Amino acid sequence: MVKKSKKSLKKVGAVKTQAISYRLKCATTGNGLSHYVMYGDTKKALL
Amino acid sequence: MEKNLYLEDLSKKDKILIEPDSVFWGIVKNNDDLPFSIPAKLLSLYEKMKKRSAQEMYQFRFTTKLSAIYIDPTDRCNANCPYCYVPAKTRKYGHSMSEKELEFILMKIKKYFSHTKKKPVIIFHASEPLIVKDILFKLILKFKKDFYFGIQTNGLLLEEKDVEFIKKHKISIGISLDAADAKTNNRLRPNAKYGGHFQKINQILEWFRGYKGLNILTTITKLNATKLPELVKYLYKKEVPCVLINPIRLTQKNSRNLKPDTKIMTKYFLKAVKQAIKYSMNSKRKIIIGNFANTLLGIIAPTARRLMCDISPCGGGRCFFTITANGKMIPCGEFIGLNKFSGGNIFKDSIEKAMHSKPFKQIRARVTEEIPECNVCIFRNICGAPCPAELHSLGNMYSKAVFCDFYKEVIKYAFRIIAEKKEKYCFRKNGLNSVEVEYKL
Repeated sequence: MVKKSKKSLKKVGAVKTQAISYRLKCATTGNGLSHYVMYGDTKKALL
Repeated sequence: MEKNLYLEDLSKKDKILIEPDSVFWGIVKNNDDLPFSIPAKLLSLYEKMKKRSAQEMYQFRFTTKLSAIYIDPTDRCNANCPYCYVPAKTRKYGHSMSEKELEFILMKIKKYFSHTKKKPVIIFHASEPLIVKDILFKLILKFKKDFYFGIQTNGLLLEEKDVEFIKKHKISIGISLDAADAKTNNRLRPNAKYGGHFQKINQILEWFRGYKGLNILTTITKLNATKLPELVKYLYKKEVPCVLINPIRLTQKNSRNLKPDTKIMTKYFLKAVKQAIKYSMNSKRKIIIGNFANTLLGIIAPTARRLMCDISPCGGGRCFFTITANGKMIPCGEFIGLNKFSGGNIFKDSIEKAMHSKPFKQIRARVTEEIPECNVCIFRNICGAPCPAELHSLGNMYSKAVFCDFYKEVIKYAFRIIAEKKEKYCFRKNGLNSVEVEYKL
């Protein structure tokens, strides 16, 4: 594999910075449980 | 840069950009050779989403939406675990509900929820609910259309026919187990009568093999902290789908002798998480570490998190509460040994009255913004500074979490998992299919 030099990186302007950001929404989780239990509608739940 | 946005190092290359109130976040992966910069598209996404995300978080945190009730059908226990949050005297001499009493409570809860669409969850919990298992099973059958049921048990009284009943009626079951070796586990969960807790659970896990409603509950103490990866290996082999591995709560004095070293606990907890991810990546079957998955959800889907200890206000007296064997309504089981937290008695008072009671309001008022160390922490709405009961018994509810550094490291590790795009290995199979994408860069 060819290693890109600093110069070539600047020229291409690629791979400069990348970012990940997202948010999901789920209406089916229980939201009513403590750290002791993972119960609820397990069929639909994420966990 | 916007004054509410903060940067935190994730690794040499990567940084977390976060707005703590709305939990808007971005992971910025920078090229080594160039000076650090935040992509403009990330900042413009924040501008676009900040108001909505903040409103959502506010709604999520400050809405009282009762969806689960814990019932302790008996105060008595057949074990004597040294870290139990139920006082020893209560476990030895406590009251047990009669069938009539329990039926009365379930009817009352059914009536309370009669106008809601979502089926509420009833969890039979501490001390050891299976001491009155005949009553429980009878009433589960009677109310199975009205509630989802769960049982948290030490497992000692479970027989094969009980396991068949639980599987047939799709009852969720949580079983306590603290180590994958008999010596460590039985030291933490001693009992004289039943020939060793570990040996019993080893048998039960065979009966439950492949059952999706099973969850193992592990409490981290100084005696088992280094053994967590082995536990995950053992449970994976037993086809256990989910395990919660929680730091011990120091609510009762007796538990404080078992406090683990935070650094050691963090190291081995994360090793256990890595072990679970490795299994999930390399095979068709997964083992989910529930509390780690919940931390991940606190980042990628904050309002969809399932466990309500790691948000402030916590779920106690807001999303769930506990009814003790003598009928007291308390915000959470963790308060059972503490005075002045009863919101009324279910045998004479209404659930509405308890929800509006001073102790319940007191727990709902505890927010991280009022805790000096947390108010300046960028992870305050991912961690929630648990637990108010524990901190109250240690002297001040408005203190940071006992294991604050543990939570910080676990949250950072969760961000690393996201940066490596491995989060899907931390949830149940197809779990992420049921969610909608609110925004994505």
